[in-house]
Amino acid sequence: MFCSATLGTFLEWSNERYPEKDERRSRLVSANAKILIVDDDPDIVESMKVILESKNYQVSVAKTGEEGLRKVRGEAPDLVILDVMLETGDKGFDVAREIKWDPQYKHLPILMLTAIKEKTGLDFMKEAGDEQWLPVDDYCDKPLHPGELVSKVEALLNKR
Amino acid sequence: MSAAFSHGAYDMTSFKQLEGLCERLYWLIRLRWIAAASVFLTVLLTGHIFKFSLPAFDLYAASTALGVYNLAFFVLLKSIKGKESFVIVNRIANSQISLDLLSLAVLIHFSGGIENPFLFYFIFHMIIASILLSKRASFLQATFAVLLFSIMVSLEYFAVLPHYCLKKFIIHDQQHNLTYISGVSFVFISTLYIAVYMATSISGRLKQREKVLGEANLELEEKDRIKSEYVLRVTHGIKEHLSAIQGCLEPVSGGITGELNAKQFDLVQRAVRRTAKLMSFVKALLQITRIKLSKEMKMEYFSLRYSCLEAINDTSAKAKAKFISVNFTMEPGIGPIRAAREYIQETLTDLLVNSIKYTPPRGKIDVGLRNRGSVILIEIADTGIGIPKNELPRIFEEFYRASNAQVAERDGTGLGLSIAKRVVEMHSGRIWIESEEGKGTKLNIELPK
Repeated sequence: MFCSATLGTFLEWSNERYPEKDERRSRLVSANAKILIVDDDPDIVESMKVILESKNYQVSVAKTGEEGLRKVRGEAPDLVILDVMLETGDKGFDVAREIKWDPQYKHLPILMLTAIKEKTGLDFMKEAGDEQWLPVDDYCDKPLHPGELVSKVEALLNKR
Repeated sequence: MSAAFSHGAYDMTSFKQLEGLCERLYWLIRLRWIAAASVFLTVLLTGHIFKFSLPAFDLYAASTALGVYNLAFFVLLKSIKGKESFVIVNRIANSQISLDLLSLAVLIHFSGGIENPFLFYFIFHMIIASILLSKRASFLQATFAVLLFSIMVSLEYFAVLPHYCLKKFIIHDQQHNLTYISGVSFVFISTLYIAVYMATSISGRLKQREKVLGEANLELEEKDRIKSEYVLRVTHGIKEHLSAIQGCLEPVSGGITGELNAKQFDLVQRAVRRTAKLMSFVKALLQITRIKLSKEMKMEYFSLRYSCLEAINDTSAKAKAKFISVNFTMEPGIGPIRAAREYIQETLTDLLVNSIKYTPPRGKIDVGLRNRGSVILIEIADTGIGIPKNELPRIFEEFYRASNAQVAERDGTGLGLSIAKRVVEMHSGRIWIESEEGKGTKLNIELPK
């Protein structure tokens, strides 16, 4: 007789996806921004790519943490979307630290993707921005919703 | 005590044994208060009303001594709480019984010695010893009782100690009658040993059984944990794929990949809805499994008032959509509570979502915090469809959904209330439901302050 909040929240999202009026502004602020997705799930990557490319971002993809670090240095993206679970369960944390501890990329915004937040008592927001623990700028809970992904990406790019 | 929990199966059973022994020692202490008071009153009555010629002073002194060492043992047991070991508690049990035997011997000596039929009260001590102590210790205690008895009888026989007669009650002046002494001694001593033999056999079997049951229970708990871990892994695997499916469906249904025709849109919407439902089910399953597996929760002080308001705020859109008014009231004197904030917060939100879901439009929900001394009572009362009376006992079962709830809402995991129950019980709280079908439901949660 119980339904978790997810369904309702999801239906709300589906009503307010992609607000048209923000379209021009976001294109102005972050036109052609380069986004690097570091995630080992090709299907998730593909869905994010479709969404982000529809907003005119340039998207490049890395499947492992090492490849991600290489592409950060080689391609100089404007934002990194980083999954927590890569080769290991928390490889994403190591990658985030390595990026942020490099003075050259200290200000490169990182959006972390995670599926481990469900009521574990692990509050990512508290740690977000804490350089010692988890140096990321924001996080997105899996499963992703296009509206949420786009608005978080825009917010991070605007903050730069 | 808490330290004993973290060790293996062996320690767990011995911990339970220790707990049982302590419990019985407290029971013995309670009995001894009654015994001391009874002796005191009996002496008072027999001395003043029936005019027995007993050494009242000595008997009062003996019963007072009984009370004094009882108090000492009580204080001792309380003071070692938390750091007791089996050896220490066992030693306390042994010395209590030896002292009891001594007191009884003294009381008997002052009230008739061998003539006193209360002599057979020694059997009670033998039974208590057999319940509390090992077989060997019980037989040793019986031997100690026999020793005390023999010393008393001999000293009275050789007139080293005076003999007090129990006149008006039973035959007296038998302290030098060898036939009487040997007869009574034979029956008395054999009775003691037979009593110990019988009682230790029974209690030994019971103790063995208790141990086996304790171990079986631990094994079951372990199996349950393994099962939960299995469920967690499987559910996680499902969720990963489900996430990807949702991720791929979203851009299509949102029109990012191009306009869909009406039929395509309809079918994709159906797929989106079903995956969303499956996802909420998977999430609830993950949540309850995690709670089952979590040994401890992060406890902190926070305001329950704030959590309630937050939950009301989080669900206000849903309530507004159905024109349901949600009111909050709070009694004075409710300070911060120590609990797992996130769990409580989510539980309150989920319960409120539940109430809104099963309350018809234009209904009313009252959320209240009540001050009930050592506990805080959280009430969520709605004017919803209620729960049929005969289904109330099953409502907290996992996956159970009330029949009228299934009619009103096709979707639902049947896990929400079980999750709430788990969370509340992990706080040593209570959760219960009062409901009348068609009128409404009142959910009560009691949390210790």
